Amino acid sequence: MQKRESLLEAYLKRGFSRRAFLKGCVTLTSLMGLSMNMVGKVVEAAENTPLPVVIWIHGHECTGCDESFIRSASPLASDLVLTSIALEYDHLLSAACGAPFEAHLDETIAKYNGQYILCVEGAVSTKDNGIYCMSGGHTFTHLLEKAARGAAAIIAYGSCAAYGGIQAAKPNPTGSAGITNFVGGKPVVKVPGCPPIPEVMTGVVMHVALFGTIPPLDGDGRPKQFYGNRIHDTCYRRPFFDAGMFAETFDDAGARAGWCLYKLGCRGPETYNSCGNLRWWQGMSYPIQSGAPCIGCSNSNFWDEDPLTDRMPKYGKLGDVDKIGAGIAAATAVGVAGHAVASLVQRNKRDNLLEEHDDH
Amino acid sequence: MPHVVVDPITRIEGHLRVEADVNETGTVTDALSSGTAWRGLELVLKDRDPRDAWAYIQRICGVCTTAHALASVRAVEDALGITIPKNANYIRNIMAATLTVQDHIIHFYHLHALDWVSPVEALAADPAATANLQTSLLNAYRLPLTAEGASTEAFEHDFPAATPQHFAAIKNRVQAIVSSGQLGIFAAQWWDHPDYKILPPEVHLLAVAHYLEMLDKQREIITPHVVFGGKNPHPHYVVGGMPCAISLNDGNAPINTARLAIVDRAINMARSLVNNFYLPDLIAIGNIYVRAGKVDGGGLAKSRVLSFGSYPLDSYTGTSNGNFFDNLLIRSNAVVENFALGVNGATIYPLSASDLVRDDALTEGVQHAWYEYPMSAKADLHPWEGITKDKYTGPKEGTGTMWQTLNENGKYSWLKTPKWRGRLCEVGPLAKYIVIYTKFMRGLLPDATWAEQMIVNQINAVTGVLGVAPEVWMPTMVGRTACRALDAQLNAEINRFFFDKLIANLKTGDVQTVNNEKWFPDSWPKKCMGVGLYDAPRGALSHWIVIEDGKTANYQCIVPTTWNACPRDDVAGHGAYELAMMDTHIADASKPLEIARVIRSFDPCMACATHLYNAKGEEINSFSTSHY
Repeated sequence: MQKRESLLEAYLKRGFSRRAFLKGCVTLTSLMGLSMNMVGKVVEAAENTPLPVVIWIHGHECTGCDESFIRSASPLASDLVLTSIALEYDHLLSAACGAPFEAHLDETIAKYNGQYILCVEGAVSTKDNGIYCMSGGHTFTHLLEKAARGAAAIIAYGSCAAYGGIQAAKPNPTGSAGITNFVGGKPVVKVPGCPPIPEVMTGVVMHVALFGTIPPLDGDGRPKQFYGNRIHDTCYRRPFFDAGMFAETFDDAGARAGWCLYKLGCRGPETYNSCGNLRWWQGMSYPIQSGAPCIGCSNSNFWDEDPLTDRMPKYGKLGDVDKIGAGIAAATAVGVAGHAVASLVQRNKRDNLLEEHDDH
Repeated sequence: MPHVVVDPITRIEGHLRVEADVNETGTVTDALSSGTAWRGLELVLKDRDPRDAWAYIQRICGVCTTAHALASVRAVEDALGITIPKNANYIRNIMAATLTVQDHIIHFYHLHALDWVSPVEALAADPAATANLQTSLLNAYRLPLTAEGASTEAFEHDFPAATPQHFAAIKNRVQAIVSSGQLGIFAAQWWDHPDYKILPPEVHLLAVAHYLEMLDKQREIITPHVVFGGKNPHPHYVVGGMPCAISLNDGNAPINTARLAIVDRAINMARSLVNNFYLPDLIAIGNIYVRAGKVDGGGLAKSRVLSFGSYPLDSYTGTSNGNFFDNLLIRSNAVVENFALGVNGATIYPLSASDLVRDDALTEGVQHAWYEYPMSAKADLHPWEGITKDKYTGPKEGTGTMWQTLNENGKYSWLKTPKWRGRLCEVGPLAKYIVIYTKFMRGLLPDATWAEQMIVNQINAVTGVLGVAPEVWMPTMVGRTACRALDAQLNAEINRFFFDKLIANLKTGDVQTVNNEKWFPDSWPKKCMGVGLYDAPRGALSHWIVIEDGKTANYQCIVPTTWNACPRDDVAGHGAYELAMMDTHIADASKPLEIARVIRSFDPCMACATHLYNAKGEEINSFSTSHY
């Protein structure tokens, strides 16, 4: 087995100083949501861990997840692809195509057996033996099973790979599903979202790269550091919900003032994602901030919980928000009630640990 | 005779396979293009709320994200008779122009460049000579064309580095990667193909440097999507306008002065990047290729192109009633045949609303596609009557789940075959540029808008550099790629134009972004039909919806890549991909770089393509627009 270079070696070899390397580690530490006293551990991991080989395959997808990945600001995609990982197979960025590209995939799988990270974008099409999604003359199910066998870790990028996504919505014409049941029982890190936030995508792969382990996950396989909070709990408009101040229609006075979008169908109260805290483009915005109700795109079945502009049809209303007038006491009561209802809902879905955290 | 199979084609969106027969002289005698995946999103949309359609159908594609959302809300608004507010039209246009610039830059540098540029060749470059080259390219190939009167920043903030130290550092980085043996994204390409020797080493090094710099910058270009739509990919829309309410009185407002300032900066940055990186690089490489005699790969562009026209200047009452066409910044709504004969030999067929609504102008057939129509149906169906019923028949050789070769005599693709009056057309920036140039030179645009005039000026400028006539250089692989770069410059200026119109309108006190009058289904007719058009980055896009009892009864899309990548038709002939391959010389059939390159010159978007179609047809609307 050829020795692979560590992140530090990669930095030095590519003309960066050790100081630049340490600076990169500090950035990563903060990116991954770790406290700064973890910097030492990140440095240690980066100094000694070989540059990880990544294989990225595509099923039923739209390539929006690759696109989101290259939108990452920290780390920048250029740094990630050229100095942090060895992206040996990816339909979006790889130079090669056709038979040499497929041969390179087989060589990479054999050479790094048991050591590479497999990133999967897109759903598995299962109907009619998988003929609705072919690549290189083979079904995607064949490719997924082949690539999963020797993977050290598997990351399901986006709601399609995690849960089946848009093509799995009723009537699911191609029998599409998430990848979990097609990877030989290996653990899968689910990074849902349509697409996930760029820095969430790069943050997860960097965690695997640096620590050699998958990041701490919740009961559904999602990294806790990115999917531990409901958008509702981190939303900058939450005070308006608590105060009973809502946009009633698009573009009304409330919408212009930035009030709560719950009555326009916002799924923030049931959606676990980093939109409220990390936001998109390093804090610039997220759909709610831009006036659009959250559609819950990181939830497992959100496409079939439509109409999207109806109020959370699956779980019903959060308290009796229609009757809220002015008055802090009433508003607070509703806020608490709303929180309790949503917490009750997720009790069916989540492990007890998270539940406790949620009910604080 | 070698039978070449390239599958998967990479550096595209989605799953594409091509096959070609190449004879001893390197001529492609037959070629097929196959979309190898089908997701069935049209069927998913059925019976859902039409107001949600944009969100579902936008997931066709995350590369040209926003394109399908825009076409979708336009189709629903056309069906329901909704006129969107001025601000919403301006903001949607900014979203569209932003997408176009960013998408074209990603295509050129990250999806297409490695067909021309090799990191291995870059290792032979002299960094000092590369710095000199950068300076001379900026002197020679910047096209100083702007929207008339458009403001500029204090100075150009985004300029290429032109120092030996910069290029030495890039070269060292490439050397380290090559030496490491872990080639990553550069692994397994045909780097020993003779075409990588066409460009001098310094051009390779310069292009590799810009590849990396644009990879970092593309995220900033798309910032307006994050401000107006909340995220990217897949920003948010709403039927009736845009959800980003505007208030100049509220700090919590989705859009206020601070947010507009972010958009302003992003728009100007994109203009600088196109003018200082993209265009000089493109012209430099294109010039070397054309002068090396590489003017093949034209195919269908020589004989028939189609465009819908783009950018409504102000609010319009509908598309199927023709008002959309009365109101365009770029009136490219036409089909042009035989441009290869020159503008005077070409034939122009205007497209108007009647071509949208008659059932025999825009249609789709399934003769060689893995679908079937009922026996009772016509061979070609209008999208409002479109049927999506899969019928997989497997390959010619191999098994249903393990192909050797596909069956060119039977069905071989998940793409339908779109037709205009029974004929196949190429679409894309090249098509749009051919239409405008031909109309202008034939005197059909006497009152040309600033954007139409800019297209003509761009073509004339490039013609001056290349030293050959437009009908020679445009309908080629290089010309297809070049017109995309010109389209990026044009759209960067269009972005500025509509941003300035937005600000001017806000000054009047109008902050409305949504027309809510027909938001609720009880205000809708029992049955209605609509079409939404958009000349997307890859060309003419149309969405078609039938609404019944408040639900989506049928939804079909005819997508640019369906026009270009479609399977053949026994009467109408080959589509654009197949003809372009058959118009491309192959140096070595064991390393078919030329095939991959000519296919990528279309910027394939396969997930988009495996969908629907439509048709249209005649009459030019010439009318004056307020010049900038």
